[in-house]
Amino acid sequence: MMFRLLLIVMVAFGVTSVAAQNGPLRIEITEGVIEPLPVAIPNLVPENAEAAAMGQQLSRVIAADLAGTGLFREIPADAYISQITSFIAPVQYADWKAINAQALVTGAVTVIGDQVTVKFRLHDVFSDTELGEGLQFAGTTDGWRRIAHKVADVVYSRITGETGYFDSRVVYVSETGPKNERRKRLAIMDYDGANVQYLTGSEAIVLAPRFSADGNRVLYTSYETGFPRIYVLDVGSVQQRVLESQQGTMSFAPRFAPNGQTVVYSLSQGANTDIWAMDINSGQSQRLTSAPSIETAPSFSPDGSQIVFESDRSGSQQLYIMPAGGGEARRISFGEGRYGTPVWSPRGDLIAFTKQSKGRFHIGVMRIDGSEERLLTASFLDEGPTWSPNGRVIMFARETQGAAGRSTLYSVDITGRNLRPVRTPEGGSDPSWGPLQR
Amino acid sequence: MHVGQVISGAAHVGLIGWLILGGSFQSEPLPFEVTEVSVISTDAFEALLSAGPEPAAPTEVALPQEPQVLPDPIETPTPDTEVTSEQPQPTPEPEPETLPEPPAPEPEPEVVDEAPSLPTPETPQIDAPEVADTPVPEASDRVAPDVVEAPDPDATPDVVEQEAVTNDDGGETQAEEQEATAPEEASDQIVTEAEEPSGAPQSSLRPPSRRPSAPTRTTQTTPDTTSDPQPAAQPEDTSDAVEDALAGILGGGEDETVPQGPPLSNGEKEALRVAVSSCWNVGSLSTEALGTTVVVGVDMEQSGKPVVASIRLLSSSGGSQSAANQAFEAARRAIIRCTRDGYSLPAEKYGQWKEIEMTFNPERMRIK
Repeated sequence: MMFRLLLIVMVAFGVTSVAAQNGPLRIEITEGVIEPLPVAIPNLVPENAEAAAMGQQLSRVIAADLAGTGLFREIPADAYISQITSFIAPVQYADWKAINAQALVTGAVTVIGDQVTVKFRLHDVFSDTELGEGLQFAGTTDGWRRIAHKVADVVYSRITGETGYFDSRVVYVSETGPKNERRKRLAIMDYDGANVQYLTGSEAIVLAPRFSADGNRVLYTSYETGFPRIYVLDVGSVQQRVLESQQGTMSFAPRFAPNGQTVVYSLSQGANTDIWAMDINSGQSQRLTSAPSIETAPSFSPDGSQIVFESDRSGSQQLYIMPAGGGEARRISFGEGRYGTPVWSPRGDLIAFTKQSKGRFHIGVMRIDGSEERLLTASFLDEGPTWSPNGRVIMFARETQGAAGRSTLYSVDITGRNLRPVRTPEGGSDPSWGPLQR
Repeated sequence: MHVGQVISGAAHVGLIGWLILGGSFQSEPLPFEVTEVSVISTDAFEALLSAGPEPAAPTEVALPQEPQVLPDPIETPTPDTEVTSEQPQPTPEPEPETLPEPPAPEPEPEVVDEAPSLPTPETPQIDAPEVADTPVPEASDRVAPDVVEAPDPDATPDVVEQEAVTNDDGGETQAEEQEATAPEEASDQIVTEAEEPSGAPQSSLRPPSRRPSAPTRTTQTTPDTTSDPQPAAQPEDTSDAVEDALAGILGGGEDETVPQGPPLSNGEKEALRVAVSSCWNVGSLSTEALGTTVVVGVDMEQSGKPVVASIRLLSSSGGSQSAANQAFEAARRAIIRCTRDGYSLPAEKYGQWKEIEMTFNPERMRIK
């Protein structure tokens, strides 16, 4: 009987073993590569004579947007085996596979009068399929760059899973002249440095422009009266007004709350600087900090419930977080050096900052509990970080050394890759990245 | 379900059933003996026991006598010769030979042949560097598990490294021409601008083993390139033999048209894993997708190529459905891209890999 039971157990075990062997082969992949995705962006097919030049212009802006992220690499047109001559013709995927194009953007453009219409498709070459459905955008010929940015946003979004940031604008301080005689004025531009427009003259020094969450208004500090005061500017009409302030005080470093109704700023009385909040409609102010130290550079969390700011209350300049209505603050930066100008990421998970350490300036990011600090840049002077609308890229100002030093805008991916200058007609500083346009 | 599995399962179920129930169907009873027994009460049993003879008293056991020690019959041998304890006489030291007179110095030649002034040998830097931080790797557009040096500029980027083959006009045998290919330059981590080089040496100079000797005229010889060093003998892999034996036991009842073979060896699995890894590009994935693990199923052709239409998302964890879809797209591209000629899988084991489940876990890629 024992022998029989033993046989039963052995046979049963054998059955399960055989079944396990006959299952699918299982492997785990834990290491991959990080490299730009090769993408082919042929010129958009012009569907009438007026659109002949537009097709190429559009494709160049789309390609520049995607390649500028560092996540994509454009395959040059002279490598193409087949050409896209018709928007409706089937794509010869084999020809694009042969040149290792992993994504392909095909499209067509029509220009009638001052109206331009763009339709496009995104193809997953190695899957022989379209990635999503075709889309069409229409606008005026003056706004053709925005159409290109919108196409690039869709392509970026479908491949990465994140929203794009190409159809967005940046307000910044345009600078000319040497350091000791620098002239500053507010300017607004597309995210890539195109379409620069000036919002103020250069009669008075202007500082720290900040977009509202909807991108319609800009707060900034001006020395128009000799003292720093906060102004709010309507981007559409370029009308501005000064915010109420107490006599004998200096107010600066303003920033909108996500609701657009509250403004937080720093106010100096004597040797003390504290953070205040103001209802922008009623002008009612509320003091949020009351330490004898300097508290400044407040920035709201995306949900508006907390504020990150810098303070030297511990003896050195560090970052703190407090409730939006004021109250006890907790310190989040503990590294060597001085931390300043914190900005909360639109995703809510990271805080960008400027760090001064060992004679160099850095732009860095850390988690909101202060962990995982990562320095992304290093130079003679880097400062003033601002987040792209999707929280993937940081723009900041870099100033070179010497009397003839120039301030230039730069952008960098939050991984620290893809550091590149933003081309502006003049020098630039204090950038503030606005939301995606509608 | 495979036919082989069905047959195998049915056979096993039948065997188990026979083992459990087989005893109930024996046709002839085994021969047996019948013995008559009677039932008695406890009292009767006690009575039977008490009526028996009493056990005899134990007899006295004689104690063993102590053994006598016998005299040792072995006589101690006497030494044949006497051992003297004299100290050995020291060997007289040989008298020192008279040193020959040093030869008289040769007269200087009339023709002065000045030796060329030798360049002072460079003092090797052997001091430890002041900054002893770990050297920072160079930044590269491509981040891969292993560092890859910049390839030859003429080489076409490819996963597989191969040398260029061109046919010589004078050659008798014509080989198939091929382009030189090499893996793209890669770093094993993202290097930011803030991570400036530490100054630590990448490789240290070693001190010379001996003082440099005076230069001697030597004939420049060309190194012999014809005699290639013999590659070291690889230890014989015994795992295949074990797997063959196991397969012999387990291989019955499978589909005859599909070669089953033994299970893939760890090396073969690793080769497949590395091949897919080299094409798994997570650089364009969102942060959320980088936190999402996906399990992807794929059916394989016998040629080693995946059936593209069969690539499917089996499960995901750690992210939203949108993030899972993005992660799946990247995984699908990885599976398809690196199969220009099919994965290098053993055809005789096709049954073992005709269906593959790949788990793409990007956890380690998030901290690059």
